[in-house]
Order: sequence, then structure tokens, then C-alpha cells
Amino acid sequence: MKTSIEFLLDNSLVTVDCHPRSGLSPTTTVLNYLRSLPQHKGVKEGCAEGDCGACTIVLGELVGGRLRYRAVDSCLVFLPMLHGKQLITIENLKSSDGTLHPVQQAMIDTYGSQCGFCTPGIVMSMFALYENDVTPTESGIRMALAGNLCRCTGYKPIIEATMVACGRERVHRSLEETERTIKLLESISSDSIVLSTERQTYVRPATILEALEFRRDHPDALVMNGATDVALRITKKHELLPLILDLSGVGGLRGWSEAEDGVNVAAGTTMEEFLGLCHGRYPALAKMLGVFGSPQIRNLATVGGNLATASPVGDLMPVLIAHRALILLRSTRGERRVSATDFVAGYRRTAASHDELITRVTLPRVPADTLVRSYKISKRRDLDIATVSSGFRIELENGNRVREVILAYGGMADRVKRAADAEAFLRGKPWNRPTVEKAMEVVGTDFSPISDVRGSAAMRTIAAKNLLLKFWAETAGNGGGE
Amino acid sequence: MKQTPHESAWLHVTGEAVYVDDMPAIERLLVGRVVYSPEAHARIQSVDLAAARAVPGVHAVLSAADIPGANQMGPVVHDEPCLADGEVMFVGQAVFLIAAETEQQCREAERLIQISYDPLEAILSIEAAMAKNSMLGAQRTMSRGSVDEALKTAPHRLSGELRTGAQEHWYLESQVSLCVPGECREMHVYSSTQNPSETQSLVAGVLGMPKNEVIVEVRRIGGGFGGKETQANHVACWTALLCRATGRPVKIRLFRDDDMIMTGKRHRFLSRYEVGFDGDGRLLAAKFELNSDAGAATDLSHAVMERAMLHSDSAYYVPNMTVMSRVWRTNLPSNTACRGFGGPQGMALMETVIDRIARTLKKDAADVRMLNFYGTEDRNVTHYGQTVENNRLHMIHDKVITSADYRKRRREIDVYNAMHEFQKKGLALTPVKFGISFTTTFLNQAGALVVVYDDGTVLLNHGGTEMGQGLHTKIRQIAAAEFGVSVDMVKLTPTNTSKVPNSPPTAASTGTDLNGAAVKNAIEKLKRRIADGVSAVFNEKDSSVQTDTNDIVFCDNWILDSRHPDRRMDFREAVRLMRLRQVSLSATGFYRTPGIGWDKMKGVGRPFHYYAFGMAVSEVLVDILTGSVDLLRTDILHDVGDSVNPGIDVGQTCGAFVQGLGWVTTEDIKWDVRGNLLTHSPDTYKIPTANDIPKDFRVSLLKDVPNPTVVGRSKAVGEPPLMLALSVWLAIKDAISSVDNHEAEPEYSLPATNEVILLSVDRLRKKRQTTATGSKVT
Repeated sequence: MKTSIEFLLDNSLVTVDCHPRSGLSPTTTVLNYLRSLPQHKGVKEGCAEGDCGACTIVLGELVGGRLRYRAVDSCLVFLPMLHGKQLITIENLKSSDGTLHPVQQAMIDTYGSQCGFCTPGIVMSMFALYENDVTPTESGIRMALAGNLCRCTGYKPIIEATMVACGRERVHRSLEETERTIKLLESISSDSIVLSTERQTYVRPATILEALEFRRDHPDALVMNGATDVALRITKKHELLPLILDLSGVGGLRGWSEAEDGVNVAAGTTMEEFLGLCHGRYPALAKMLGVFGSPQIRNLATVGGNLATASPVGDLMPVLIAHRALILLRSTRGERRVSATDFVAGYRRTAASHDELITRVTLPRVPADTLVRSYKISKRRDLDIATVSSGFRIELENGNRVREVILAYGGMADRVKRAADAEAFLRGKPWNRPTVEKAMEVVGTDFSPISDVRGSAAMRTIAAKNLLLKFWAETAGNGGGE
Repeated sequence: MKQTPHESAWLHVTGEAVYVDDMPAIERLLVGRVVYSPEAHARIQSVDLAAARAVPGVHAVLSAADIPGANQMGPVVHDEPCLADGEVMFVGQAVFLIAAETEQQCREAERLIQISYDPLEAILSIEAAMAKNSMLGAQRTMSRGSVDEALKTAPHRLSGELRTGAQEHWYLESQVSLCVPGECREMHVYSSTQNPSETQSLVAGVLGMPKNEVIVEVRRIGGGFGGKETQANHVACWTALLCRATGRPVKIRLFRDDDMIMTGKRHRFLSRYEVGFDGDGRLLAAKFELNSDAGAATDLSHAVMERAMLHSDSAYYVPNMTVMSRVWRTNLPSNTACRGFGGPQGMALMETVIDRIARTLKKDAADVRMLNFYGTEDRNVTHYGQTVENNRLHMIHDKVITSADYRKRRREIDVYNAMHEFQKKGLALTPVKFGISFTTTFLNQAGALVVVYDDGTVLLNHGGTEMGQGLHTKIRQIAAAEFGVSVDMVKLTPTNTSKVPNSPPTAASTGTDLNGAAVKNAIEKLKRRIADGVSAVFNEKDSSVQTDTNDIVFCDNWILDSRHPDRRMDFREAVRLMRLRQVSLSATGFYRTPGIGWDKMKGVGRPFHYYAFGMAVSEVLVDILTGSVDLLRTDILHDVGDSVNPGIDVGQTCGAFVQGLGWVTTEDIKWDVRGNLLTHSPDTYKIPTANDIPKDFRVSLLKDVPNPTVVGRSKAVGEPPLMLALSVWLAIKDAISSVDNHEAEPEYSLPATNEVILLSVDRLRKKRQTTATGSKVT
């Protein structure tokens, strides 16, 4: 059991133990940590909630022996989450002789900065793209930059700068330097970590068994992984989180594997990794994930974390319900599988008991006669929480008769909820416009949504109905038809 | 030369640019915190600060009673207390100030402050203010011709109402100030302010000190957009009070949510119109009523309203026009300057009118616009009596209609819309004619201090602030060109009130025009002295030829006699010699805009030095089932005269357009029934991302049209392009309107959020269904 964390900053190993003298705690954000150092003021706080990207930094990690880079919002990362990683900041980009990194030079050449306050964060997002050898399209760049707000430039020159820098032949760091970094990262122990201060205890187990035992013995411990939700309780609500169980160090909790009936996705898989998996295979999920948060948030947030928060809007949940996904809950007592529909127990409540952890999601294959679609209505396309979202599934027989249908909605009730009456109405009926228009009316009576800052009840009802019509319009030609 | 990068670009991209919060650690620095009202309107019943003051590490907890000077920070009208005294007027109004060793101690002290409020009735909307007759200042009117008569006789008439929303500035760097005490009473204020002189004035005021004890310094601002024109003063005043009370340096940086809750925004407007026009769509009469929500204090609300009135003609000649305006006081944070400064609100109204006229007459709105543009020979006088000189509207219109392929796309869109039930496209062209100058005429002045060192390097000081707009870059270019030296010889200091006093805010897009001219004026003085000295040297060395001072030119780092080019001296060598010859190498410069002035009371005159013009064509694709909008393409052609720096001007044009895009689409500000801001963070307040800008974004500057009246023959560019985004707003309306085949006027407001779109479409679809059913019956 280690009582300190180690990470790489400015090419050196740094050890942090949250000793009182250090002024650091297990919930100190990486943003605040960096800004407390004299030489790392380049990182900026724009919102302290992951919505602006001014604090973007890049984490270097060993994946299969190679260095991979991901841009993240440093305001959402707690210091101990850096353990075993390389922390790369804007100050690290130019080479020792003062030569700028190609993305920096391109930003100057295209007038990509005006007031300059968002610029370090933007440059870091560009750097991650560059170093990961992504050759992005223009629309790919727009998506990659969607987590970085800029109020001055209108983004056009920044997109151009990224095109220019990533379009040229890449010049990477010297092999020697990379090897040294890899060696240093490999030298960091992956043992379990406990950090204690007078008022806080932070536990980062290395194995699932340790995690389950801790969960059993400390049911009140706050469970986190990517921290994108939990961090707001620190940065916005200034809470003290006395006991934290961080699953991000648990071996085997990340990635996916093929199973007989579909795909098993480990609960610690990040949303960005999950998006990669879903591309091509689960288009409805890929579509929803593509507008989930921003790259910086998807690089932190995990599948399990998203399910555990049980948001009434849901993000993944409506689509997982439509996919008839199964959620694996594990405890020291054993494990059980719960359907996505049954997993949602109430307002921000799930079916998991106090000693259980979400360890896996199973996504069944979608049969040929079945169509699954997802929709998200939000004020802004990217980095916005849905006003109404939905995951729809329809199984047709004889080409156009509804055998089975799932209409799962987020943002229409205190939890993600299926339009039960509309589903019942549709079963056995022809999948045509008159039926759908009648079903739309039933959707209207299935829910009594509230008015809030994201939209009025009237808007939500119109949207929920319209989405069914949109689903029909999109699927009618796909074996449905009038 | 023109393509000089932003002077701070290298610092920006390396993270080395220093903003106020990044300044190196200062010994004994305290953290300052502002405690604000949770009530929209209430009497303060009782206050007990003892427990808060007793928190270890807390050095000061201040209330209104602790202000040594005037409890006042209204920039124009003195109706804005620095700290609430007896009564709070809005949620977010500063009531107490805390200084402590740490942020946490500040929060702990805040928790222990005992205060009780006796809630009073709060006015939270323009309508409520109207009902209570809660007006600020007097009603104003600008009028030309006989409107009522012309309305009566007009072949067509329309009337209606338009709501335009507030807009949060969303500068990336939230409000911040650092005060460092000097000797005795001196105070050095580092502030993110667009208005250092006013900040100095108000800090001196709340401290009860003369201005010569207060220095305000601004290196750079992380975005301003008008939000730091008056309201950065507040943070500076609060910081200064804590600094004075503790005798220690204090920094206040507002957290994003606090910044959004406490500070004012773009004024929301409720406007009404009645217009008359002929069968071709020619405007004959317009009667406008503009109502703005000023919030709890005056701030710049009257000036904002004035500019709205001055821009309610948009780009069109209206022979008979009356604009009446009223500024309403509500219990919300005082609204303030915001890029465009009333212009967008006034223009949105007139563009709505034109759009409706086109729909009514079943004409293309672009044609109705062209028909009504100000003329070049006649029909060229505005409703306030200023002649529209150097009118570029027709030139830009002809070019952009062609370059954007407007006619063809219009036809294609009609076909597309006929074939698609759930996806509708829309297209709109809108113009900008924006008046440049402060309408408060005396503000049109600037000072500069130019210093040449004997190594040949130049240091510039001027009163303008660098907030990303590239002001320092342009001024540097102007100075280098004047001195005939390369730009790397020229550097700018932070803006500092002890170097250049009594400056206006960097606002109204005038930064380069005013400060550039002041710098030029100073350089002309220096060049005269140097030319005298250098010609003397030439003539002493060789008296066979006489060099006339007037023949001395400065170019390519040389100073030479243009009649005898072999008589030359390196610039560095020349200034080294000048020092030895006891020639003064520093000079102040000054500029005031000539030929402007107007009668505010009568609403007649020449408020503007010139107009900046531009036009945009935008095409959108609207999913009418979800209300989502794809901005497919925008073509912009904008007039900046002879650009000093095209890279910067294109950047300003794109940036302003996208900020306008946010205002007209997703930036939706909401308060609850108790006056709490609901959209107080970027979680719920949505400015555009990189994915929201036009998929095909074509931005060009109008070529070969120098502006004869301004330094460098350029034009102001900061604000005008913001209003080009009205093209997107009206393109969305065009798409919605196609749901009912452009038969009915869609219900519409600004911003066109997905909610506005969904509700508007829903009504049109229901109307169509009813009509369809109805026609079956008959």
C-alpha cells in the first residue's frame, strides 16, 4: 500500500503525499495544483466545471507499451488521478532551444489567438491531436475543439491552424526522450494507494477484490472514476468529500471484449474509448456519444460512472435501454445482471446496492429486423446536457408490423423512462404515419415533464412527440414504410 | 508589414502571457471575496459581522459603513452604491467584502455573516417596470417628417412587437483586480479594465483620495466585449477598499458563476413597430418604440439606448420616421455595454420589419432591402440628420449577391423545401451600417506618450487597452511606419494612467482610430525635432549643400534627405546623436475627432465620424422536428477601409460574427421569479463552439476603398460585424416560414433557440392542419 502518488511533470518524477505542509489534498484539482506552482501559470481557469476548456492539459499514458495522449480538463482531475501518468502542460511544448511546437507556430501564423486567455487550452487540444497522429478532417477538428470555448476568434483561424499543423509531416519528440519517458512511467508502482489527511481519506485500489471489500466495509464512501461529475462538488459546491473510493486504478476495469451474444464493455472504459468501439457497430450509441460532453470530458468520464449518476436526462441510458443492455453488478457476495430498464430505480437512484459496483455492460447484437436509433435535443449541439433525449428500438415483422418497440426518453420525467402507453399502443400495429401520429398523442400523455432552464414543459412535450415522428421518418424506408 | 502577427501571439501560444491573476507572487497577498445579495429587492434589517471577523486568517470584513470615500461607483449617473447601504436592489449586488489569507477562510467568514433581509416587491421584467412606471431618465424621441400622416396614407401597413434577449459577455478571463499599497496613501491597481481612467477615478472616489495617488495599469485583458467598460471598475473599487483596510495587497478574481450573477449584460429590449410601405416594399413611414431593461442602475443604459435609436434605421432610408425610447429600471444587475452597444437591438427591429414587408408582398427580402438602402445622391440623410457619406451599401450588395450566388441558391432552397417535410432550409442577406464614434462626443479624444531611447528603440504608451482586438499590434505598425523603422524596434508598455491620463474607455470600436492618431501626433513632433537635428548635422558636415528640414524622410531604418539621398543616417545613430545634442526624445500626442457633434436633446446632428459597412448571406438547415439548426454557409463582405492588418481585421470580423451568432441562436438568459439568474454558468449558458460556426465560412474584406478620414485610412472593425449575424437569425425564420409556404408570419423572437423554433413551427403546422381540415369541410 502506497501513501503517496507519483507522476511525471517537466520530465521529472514528482511525488505528492498530501502532507499538511504541502497544502494539497486528495481533491485538489490539477488546475489548482499547477497554478500554485510558479512556472505553470499558463493553464487558465475559465469556469472550473469542464465547460470551457481553458484549463486543458494533456495526460500521457502507457497503453500497450506506447505513449498515448489525451486532452482533459484539469479542473475536473483530482491530483491523485495523475498517478502513473505524464502531465503535459503548455509550458512543456516548445523545445529546449525555444523552437515552438508546430501547433503553436501555426496558431501564430493564422492569427489564431486574440485575447489569448483560451489559447493555452486550445493549443493543448491541438497538441493531443497532433501527437496521437490523428489526421483529422475539418469536421473532425471542429469536434476535437468543441470542448474549448473561444469568445474572440470565431474559431475559423484556429481550425485553419489545426489543419495546417496536422496536415504537415509530423515532427515528434526524439526517440530518446520518448524512451526515457516510457522508462520513467514504467518505474511507477501500480500498487494500491491510500492518501489520508486530517479530514479526508482517498483510496485507489489496484484490484477489483480490494475495491469490492472496501465498498462493502465503507458503503458511505463516494465512488468515482473519471470524476467529471464528482469534481463539481469540489469546484462549484466547495464540499468536503471525506471518504473517496477511486476505481481508476483497478486493473481490468477498462476496455472491452467480444462475447457470444454481443460485446462486454468494462465499466471503467472512458466514453471516448466507448465511442471508438461503437463506431460502425452501434451507430445509435456512437451518435449519442459523439455529442456527449467534449473530447476532454469523454477522455475522463466512464461508462460506469455515467450509469451510476442516474441522471434524469441519462445520456447513455435511453440508448442502452433501447439496446436491451445488461448491467453487471458485482459485490463480495457475488454478481448479478440487471437489465438497463430495471437498473433505473428513481430520481438519481439505481438498482445497485450499497456494496455493489458496476463492473460491466453487455451490449447484445442487434438482430437484422430490429432498428435502434438515438436522438438528443439540446440548446447547443456539443457540450450541452439534453433537454430531451431518446433511445428507440423497433422490431418489425412482415416488413411493417410492430412486433416489439422500446421508446425510452430522458428529460421527460424524474428519471429515464419509457413511454409505456405509447409502446403498448404501437405493438401489433402497422408502422405507418397514421399509427405513428396517434402514438405521438399517447406519448404526450405518457409524460408530465417540468419546465426548467433547459426548456419548457410545452417544448419538451412537442419534442418528445416529434422524435417519434422523426424515428418513423428515418426508419420507414428501412423495411418499415407506409 | 501588414501581415504582422498579434504582438502577444508568441506569449499566448506558449502560456507566457501574463494576465492579472498570473502575476508573480506578491508578499503578504490576501484573497478578497465579495458577498452579494441573495434577494432581488429587500431592506437590510440587521447585520452582525462579529463572528465573521473573528475567523482566524480573516483580516477585514467590510460593509458600506467602512467606505472612507463616496459609496458610489456609477460611471455617469451616481445611482450605484459600491456596497449596499440599507437596501439591496438585485440578486448579486455587493453587500460585504472579505479579505483573508485563504479562499477557504473567506468562505468560512461569509458563512458566519449574520444578515437578515426584509423582502420588498421586485420588478423583474420590462412589462412589470412599465406597470410600475419604473423609468430611468426621460423618454426620448428622434423624429423626421410626419409619421402619422404618412402611416395613414401608406398603401400597406404592418405593426408588431419584437423581443431581443440579453447576452452575457462571456469574456474567458473573469473580472479580476489586484491592488498593491504604495507609500503613504498610494495605490497601484492592476485591473482587467477597458477603462483605466474611469477605474482610477472611481477607486479614488471610494477611497476619498485625489487621483494622483492612484495608478491603474492594464497589461492585457482576457476579453472584454464591453463587459469591462464600466463593471471592471466595481471589482477594482472593492479590491482597493480591502487593500486600504488591511494595508496589504489584495486580489479579487470573481468565480465564473459569481461573475455571471453579479455583472450586467447586453440590454434586453421589447420593441414595437408600426410601418407603412408601398406595393414595391419601399418604406414610407416607421414609428418605433424601444424599451430596454436597464437593470437596477443607470450605468451606460442611456447611451446604449441612444445608439439603438441611431441604428433603428439599419441601412435604410425612411422618409418619415419617429423613434421613441424608454429605459426601464428593474431589480436585476445593471446592464451595460456589450459589443454593438444597442446597435444590434435597433437593427434587429428594422430587419424584422423588412423581413415582414417581403413576406407580406411575397417578394425576396434581399430585393426589398436593396430598394430601401440609403442612396448615394439622394435619400441619403438619416432620421437624425447625418448624411450617409461614402456609402458602400450598393457596392457591397452587388458583390455579395454574386459571390454568394444568392439568386441560384434561393431557387434551390425553394425546391428543397418543397421536397422535404421535416428539413427546411432558409437564406437571408442582411446589411450593416454602423456609426463610428462615441455618441457622447467629448469621449472622442486620446492621448499618447512616445519615447525614443538612444539605442534607437521606441516605447509607446497610449490610453487604449489591449483585450485581444489587436490594438497594440496595429498601433505598433502605425508607429513603425511613421518612424520608418521595423516593428521589432517598437514596443508598447502596459496601459498606465500615470503615463497617459484622462483617456476614454477602449470601446465603440474607436481604439485604433483615436489612439493611433494620438500616437501619430506625438511621433510627428519627435520627427520634427529629429529632422531639425539631423539636417543640422548634415549641413555642419558639408555646408556646400543645404538640407531643408522639410526634405527629411524616415524610411527603412534610415533618416535621409529626399533631395540628396546620399545624405543619410541610420535611425539608431541619429537618435544617439540627438541625445548628445540635447534634443528631447519623448513627446506626448493628442487627438480629438474633428467635425462631429450633435444635439442630444433634439436628436439631430452628426454623431458619427463615418460609417462602417458590411453584408452577410447565411444559409441554414433547420430540423423542424427537433429545432436544431445547421449553419451551412455564411458569406461576409466587410468594409474596413485600407486595413492596417488584414489578419487582425478578418479575425475581428469572424469573432464578432460568431459572438453575434451566439446572441441570435443559443445564448438564452433566464431568471427565476425571484430574480435569480438561472443561466449562471456555461453548463446552462451556451456560447458557440467550433462546431457551431458556418460549415462553409467565407470572409472577405472589401478592397480598394480607403477611408479618407482616419489614420492609416482604415476603419473601425470591433463591433460592426457582430450585427452580420442577423443574417443567420432571419435565415432561420425563413426556414420556419417555409413550413407554411411563407403564407403566415411566424412567431419569432431573439434568440432563436430550439425552443423558439419548435414552438413557432408547432403553431404553423397546427395552423396548416386546421386550414387543411377546414378546406375539406368547405
